[in-house]
Amino acid sequence: MNLFTSSTLLTLLMLITPVMVSSTDFYKNNKYQHYVKNMTLLAFITSLVPMTMFIHTNQEMLISNWHWTTIHTLKLTLSFKMDYFSLMFMPVALFITWSIMEFSMWYMHSDPHINQFFKYLLIFLITMLILVTANNLFQLFIGWEGVGIMSFLLISWWFGRTDANTAALQAILYNRIGDIGFLLSMAWFLHNTNTWSLQQIFMLSQNPPTLPLLGLTLAAAGKSAQFGLHPWLPSAMEGPTPVSALLHSSTMVVAGIFLLIRFHPLTENNKLIQTMMLSLGALTTLFTAICALTQNDIKKIIAFSTSSQLGLMMTTLGLNQPHLTFLHICTHAFFKAMLFLCSGSIIHNLNNEQDIRKMGGLYKILPFTTTALIIGCFALTGMPFLTGFYSKDLIIETATSSYTNAWALLLTLTATSMTAIYSTRIIFFTLLEQPRFPPLMNINETDPMLINPIKRLLIGSIFAGFILSNSMPPMNTPLMTMPLHLKLTALTVTTLGFVLAFEINTYSKNLKYPYSSDSIKFSTLLGYFPTIMHRLSPHLVLTMSQKLATSLLDLTWMETALPKTTALIQLKASTLTSNQKGLIKLYFLSFLITMTLSMLLFNYPE
Amino acid sequence: MSLVHINILIAFAVSLTGLLMHRSHLMSALLCLEGMMLSLFILATLTILSTHFTLANMMPIILLVFAACEAAIGLALLVMVSNTYGTDYVQNLNLLQC
Repeated sequence: MNLFTSSTLLTLLMLITPVMVSSTDFYKNNKYQHYVKNMTLLAFITSLVPMTMFIHTNQEMLISNWHWTTIHTLKLTLSFKMDYFSLMFMPVALFITWSIMEFSMWYMHSDPHINQFFKYLLIFLITMLILVTANNLFQLFIGWEGVGIMSFLLISWWFGRTDANTAALQAILYNRIGDIGFLLSMAWFLHNTNTWSLQQIFMLSQNPPTLPLLGLTLAAAGKSAQFGLHPWLPSAMEGPTPVSALLHSSTMVVAGIFLLIRFHPLTENNKLIQTMMLSLGALTTLFTAICALTQNDIKKIIAFSTSSQLGLMMTTLGLNQPHLTFLHICTHAFFKAMLFLCSGSIIHNLNNEQDIRKMGGLYKILPFTTTALIIGCFALTGMPFLTGFYSKDLIIETATSSYTNAWALLLTLTATSMTAIYSTRIIFFTLLEQPRFPPLMNINETDPMLINPIKRLLIGSIFAGFILSNSMPPMNTPLMTMPLHLKLTALTVTTLGFVLAFEINTYSKNLKYPYSSDSIKFSTLLGYFPTIMHRLSPHLVLTMSQKLATSLLDLTWMETALPKTTALIQLKASTLTSNQKGLIKLYFLSFLITMTLSMLLFNYPE
Repeated sequence: MSLVHINILIAFAVSLTGLLMHRSHLMSALLCLEGMMLSLFILATLTILSTHFTLANMMPIILLVFAACEAAIGLALLVMVSNTYGTDYVQNLNLLQC
């Protein structure tokens, strides 16, 4: 017996221990943070064992522990699926969480409820791992809802701030809309395949109709901020930077994409769903890249960048490449978390300044953060042989050589060049030029709790792509030949974006525009989407309901219809019929004539 | 029909015409009403006496009693109208409320 089962379950159990400790006195101690961080580190190391076993021997496992209940013919158990995806994702997620926990020991140092913060981060990690290792839809849904709840609690960490509460509610609402799709698919699978466990679903429905897959796509769109359900992600930047780094860049927002990856045996047979995913992803990636171009808050730019990369992942799923998508999830986690950590370092050092128009000249002042930021941006744009290259370049190559929708491809390429443009914007405004912040700042980055996480993620951003793509067993034949111009497409558009952005930034940094043009208003107002959806349609609905309730129902039907109408009719009738004018003589005269006539008629009847 | 009956009947008819075609005073209507009553009384008595129908002798006396009551009520109404308007012209009676 090898260590596979025990190390997997040990990983999950190790993480529950600090949560259970929280009801004791230890929770109030200052050592609790170190305890949580060390537990995560140990869990990471323990999870390396199954991963290495998988790489070495391709051994997958299905752990089915505890039979919970059987309702008629539906059997619900506690079962963990340790296959390619969950085994590779667990170490990555644990590594990044370990680094972020160490970072948040520096970032949230002066927070009085720091222990609660760590507990929340840990519960989030546990639910995320439940989601990733779930073998049936019920357990997956438990993890799904769990990450949603923890996202709510963590975004509204500073709940005294109205914007934070609004953002947390917005996240919950948009995720709920996606949950409708999830429940629809669960119901369909229960109804048609009599089960919620993945193995039976894959066996019984090789060619499913579009409905369950549509439900899953809706769930992914809600959780992974695709177009139409995207506004919650930039608003979620109201939470502390470690939260943004963990939830809204590496782990939670990929849960939707992960769900679709899990269901790849079903989506690979349905062309309609693939086309839908392709179009949705392409639209998302371009739209959010446009919105990122003119944002002024550094965290929002990175949030839109995350959204754009999620769109790219959805596009890759639409090209029927789940394993490539998964590789992009893993590599993207590294450099995106690092970008958030660098932005956290900048924000804290500049005394909580988040507006890039008030940063500048940090190139010489924060050398380590500068290095990390630049490397992170390069990895994001797909600089050759950094991490992002191994997944992003492959995606673009696959897209250009597939028999697929050319419009989606064009949008993806435009979004790729825009990635370079907004990355240049970040670098230019925060690091280069002269400082634009007040001079009396004490800026230092000497604390090891700040440096070590960024250092680890930096090494990950440089080497992880190489290591992961060479360790992961290939699941489909790679593309061997393609024309030179297609091979160089991604590199060309990225370089074009860099050069263009740098030129424009340099030449126009001292100019100001008197009137905002329509295009910049489109980008700054996020495509008018929040304006229309959050303000216009509720206003219309509420006005219409008020008109219906008050004017139509109350005033018209209840008041005017019977009572007032009856009164009106009576009034009119009485004025009509009361025309007695008191002409007594006329009445008497007519009586006389009638009497005379009748007597004449009845007495002389011939 | 004997001539006497026709005479009294013509008196009745003239009073009726006077009741229904008076000009302006309500008093003249009431007077003609009395005239009608009187001619009816004379007609009834003459007919009963000429046909020796003695059992119906009550009828003209009771008719007279009721005529008296009726005259009293008519006069009371006339007094009320006269209280309101000062005169008893019938053209004042064009309101349906008091």
